[in-house]
Amino acid sequence: MANRFGLPDLGVGLGLRTVHYSHIVQARPEVDWFEILSENYMQTAGRPLEWLDAITDRYPVAMHGVSLSIGSTDPLDRAYLTELRALRDRTKARWVSDHLCWTGVSGKNTHDLLPMPYTEEALRHVAGRVRAVQDFLGAPLALENPSTYVEFTAGEMPEWEFLARLAEEADCALLLDVNNVFVSAYNHGFDAREYLAAVPFDRVVQLHVAGHTHHGTHIVDSHIGPVIDEVWRLLGDAWKRAGGASVLLEWDAEVPAFEVTHAEALRAKDFIGTP
Amino acid sequence: MSRTPEGLREEQLWFARAVMTGAALDQVGQRLTAGPKLGPLERLDVYRRGYEARLVECLADDYPVLERALGEEPFAALCRAYVARHPSEAPNLNAYGRHMAEVCPGFAADLARLEWAIVEVIHEPAGAPLTLEDLAAVPAEGWATARLVPSRAVRILTLDYPANDYFQAVREGNTPPLPERAPSATAVYRSGHAVWRMGLTPTMHRVLDALVAGELLEAALALAGDEPPEQVTAWFREWVSGGLFVGVEAR
Repeated sequence: MANRFGLPDLGVGLGLRTVHYSHIVQARPEVDWFEILSENYMQTAGRPLEWLDAITDRYPVAMHGVSLSIGSTDPLDRAYLTELRALRDRTKARWVSDHLCWTGVSGKNTHDLLPMPYTEEALRHVAGRVRAVQDFLGAPLALENPSTYVEFTAGEMPEWEFLARLAEEADCALLLDVNNVFVSAYNHGFDAREYLAAVPFDRVVQLHVAGHTHHGTHIVDSHIGPVIDEVWRLLGDAWKRAGGASVLLEWDAEVPAFEVTHAEALRAKDFIGTP
Repeated sequence: MSRTPEGLREEQLWFARAVMTGAALDQVGQRLTAGPKLGPLERLDVYRRGYEARLVECLADDYPVLERALGEEPFAALCRAYVARHPSEAPNLNAYGRHMAEVCPGFAADLARLEWAIVEVIHEPAGAPLTLEDLAAVPAEGWATARLVPSRAVRILTLDYPANDYFQAVREGNTPPLPERAPSATAVYRSGHAVWRMGLTPTMHRVLDALVAGELLEAALALAGDEPPEQVTAWFREWVSGGLFVGVEAR
């Protein structure tokens, strides 16, 4: 089963990080695709775009944002969307993704992926905004399930139900981060398999894996170090349910040499198979 | 026009205040549930710690030499005060640290100006550099009205302290003492992917400042005064080959 949007399975890719720019441009390693962090190339006219152009000339990319703030009750930021669309056109990104979260309110940005209360009111609000963004972009938006550390007493449904209903009501794509499922399952005491069972996989166009930091009492989605086997197994399960989807490793803290991160990403092939 | 989701709005206003300022934490038990191993406040603290740490880390990335000059903890305290005073209002952090010089005293302010100029030129387009061949193509009658077009990725700094000397010493692995007040000037510019800093003598500063400001070439070079012509020519060649200019205009 391919995704309903007809978006391609790009294979196994890596999150593009600044410390690897030079190696990628000079050594031209064989990599299926890169995911770029949208905001790294916004509000700049300089060096980040010069590196990006050199890389998008050679590799397919998808865009992954952290400041759309789709769940905020502030108005959508038209200037941000305009720049996002221009970047999509410049890079020929296969799709644009961001998170099911909000990042700030009253004009302030915390630069964090803040949790939503999963209520009927929030569902209606976010669905309307996703539709507006998709109209603006003229393409489906892929929303990623966040890792969360709190739940609201006002919550009326589990995250997986909110995500599935949102995807249906807004007719959007999903980026399923199986590490985030693992992290939130631990932090909130739910079963990651139950979460996966509720995901509408025909909408999943991309899968994320990453390392995390276990603090004993909770897990933080730190994007550091290698991926643990339990998360790899969740990836394999999700990939098979989706009938294949683009896979991406995120490694953001203490980023090692390119070859190390790429080798870690390619471990995905041990856990995914033929649809 | 869709109706404001009042409940969600109110929840977000509270959450953002709690995370950014530590206000209204007495409401945490009413608004957030306990987890398997952490209470509501401990769970909220994951976000509170992350908020400040993220912005402090951004400032440390922009101001590594200032951090060395002030020391780790005083710098962290300065950054925490900065975060409280300057919450981010932008979708990314590229310009977040732009106010640092305003909150620093004396030498630290100059060092912050220098490090911020480096950030600025990274985010400016460098453009295709002017070549000596471009200059050679200017007809003889055009020189009287010729002006150079500066790259957008150039900053000329006039400072009260020798901040660039200090910066360079730290970059070379030394631990220099904090300098005494002494006027200095530095050009910060980007050529290709590399950012360069060039200390300027008072005469160099006068001439380069005029060139970058778009003064007529002849008038700007005349500001060199008694400087030997071969010296001025050498500076000029260095500025052109360094990519400080992207064009020449002559009527």
